[in-house]
Amino acid sequence: MASLANLPLAERMQVTFEAQEFTFHEAALLDNRQYEAWLDLLTDDIHYWMPIRRTTTLKEVSDEFTQRGGMAFFDDDKNTLTRRVNRLSLARAWAEDPPSRTRRLVTNLQVVEVSGDEIQLHANFQLYRTRLNSEEDNWIGRREDLLRRVGGVLKLARRHIYLEQTVILSQNMSSLF
Amino acid sequence: MAQVISSSRARWYDPDSATLDRRIFSDPEIYQQELERIFGRAWNFICHESQLPEPGRFFMNYIGEDQVIAVRDRKHQIQVLLNSCPHRGNTVCRAEQGKTASFLCSYHGWNYDLDGSLIGMPGENQFYRGDFDKKAWGLGKAAQVQIYRGFVFATLDAQAPPLVDYLGWVGRLGLDMVASSGDIEVLDGVQKNRIKCNWKLAVDNLYDWYHVKVSHGSALRIGLLTEESMAPDGQMVMLGDYGHGIGGPGLSQAQLNDFVERMGNGEEPSKWYDLQAARRLDQRTRDELGPVGARSLGHPNIFPNLWVTLTRQLCLRIPRGPFETELWWFTLLPEGMPEEERRMAIFIANHMFGPAGFLEQDDGENWSHSTRGAMGNATRKRPLNYQMGHGQDTVVGDPSGQNSIETVVNEHGQRWTYQSWQDWMTADDWPSLIANHTPAPTGVV
Repeated sequence: MASLANLPLAERMQVTFEAQEFTFHEAALLDNRQYEAWLDLLTDDIHYWMPIRRTTTLKEVSDEFTQRGGMAFFDDDKNTLTRRVNRLSLARAWAEDPPSRTRRLVTNLQVVEVSGDEIQLHANFQLYRTRLNSEEDNWIGRREDLLRRVGGVLKLARRHIYLEQTVILSQNMSSLF
Repeated sequence: MAQVISSSRARWYDPDSATLDRRIFSDPEIYQQELERIFGRAWNFICHESQLPEPGRFFMNYIGEDQVIAVRDRKHQIQVLLNSCPHRGNTVCRAEQGKTASFLCSYHGWNYDLDGSLIGMPGENQFYRGDFDKKAWGLGKAAQVQIYRGFVFATLDAQAPPLVDYLGWVGRLGLDMVASSGDIEVLDGVQKNRIKCNWKLAVDNLYDWYHVKVSHGSALRIGLLTEESMAPDGQMVMLGDYGHGIGGPGLSQAQLNDFVERMGNGEEPSKWYDLQAARRLDQRTRDELGPVGARSLGHPNIFPNLWVTLTRQLCLRIPRGPFETELWWFTLLPEGMPEEERRMAIFIANHMFGPAGFLEQDDGENWSHSTRGAMGNATRKRPLNYQMGHGQDTVVGDPSGQNSIETVVNEHGQRWTYQSWQDWMTADDWPSLIANHTPAPTGVV
């Protein structure tokens, strides 16, 4: 296990660049509705999780998010993500037919740890969705990803998504984050 | 006299033609009246007792558009307080939930005890010169707070009848469906999201077993649900005074007996209702739900806006103006549930409903577009059709008092909701609502 700060600059640059390439490629696939190709980027044991967030007092801010194993907006494995992807490609899955137009801005990439074949990556994101004539949704948040080298190729093994909203100001979350 | 009242009632919902004036989904004046006459009078669901385990624990909710704080006070009583300081109206609590010793207004520092009484304020002697009646200036409170099987309800109307009478057998049965078989607790984490729809369209939908295969057809095609389980042809409806109802799939007595026998013999689930009816395997639960109630796998609505789901959840539909509704999902599980069952129950709750749920994703757009359809100058003048099964069915009496309609997919629940809504909207106060509301139907419906 290596905290990134202890690595030589060249190594930091290399791993950060790889993580960035992966991330931008992944976002492009989702923006371009290439969902099957996106699924191929996930490890079979992926955990994809978005807890519920609450407004708390400063004193109780450690209770801001629900805990793993409890209630969540997303608590998915490869199986349920595959079903979400299958849904997205079905006619008359009404939340996405007509399909939404989405654009993902992924920024502030920070490789926080490298351990063997695994890279821990933190990033900020904005997911903009518009659909039909004038509907708009904007989700901004932070992602904590675990990337893993499988057969020399980077894959996504874990994604924890922390939205800034507490009450989700959208009729649904039929997009992938 | 009854005729006069009856004709004046037919302003929005016409029970003879089973049509509805869709301006009730968009008219701002009607909305303001709803806040007064429905949310201001009804027993509103606030929280479950398990969310307030000790003094100081609070949970924020709404009665209509009035924000309220449910809190356990120092005497262990549950208080429902209006979250508005009587000095300048500012909120005294900003967190959705938590634990506190008092409620301190962030504007001038007026400080309120857990029972809402004003403890004191800065400058009490120096600026108010010690001449201030603190007893008269506590936080406003719900007129009544009562609990049914752990479910905390509050009303802003001192004339409202006791909660158990308000719920009647249908409302109580609706809550029993999730509370039966022992103590339950609310899991940490209430999913909340906003839909640009009128709140009544969300309520209307919970009785709607007609939309399932169309709106949620994708859930079939990705193998999440089977066609038989999604919208079974055999349906049961139970209607109660003041607008409560339970509508949806129902088992015949033969099906229930067969289920109990097969599952009792340890057979694997094979029929569509084997999982949905799982809790009915327990004799005590069947006894508690009653001979007719035990056969219902329908959706209860506690009027006006509390849906009890088949997935051990409550969904509250909170109005945010005529064109917006907030959905809050509470998940309730029995205390001491075996770990594997608990894991599965949470999995189902997380994946079926809520804004990212496989079923729930598709609903919002329908409701929001129905709401828009009530805004256009031409479209809003055209009535909506609620005629499915109208005049085609009979309420069957049962010696237990649990009367039900046994039929196919229908719109009885929706018609009952709008009829009752109209009764509430035309009543001047609780005594007049009690005297003049449409009693739960008998005979042909």
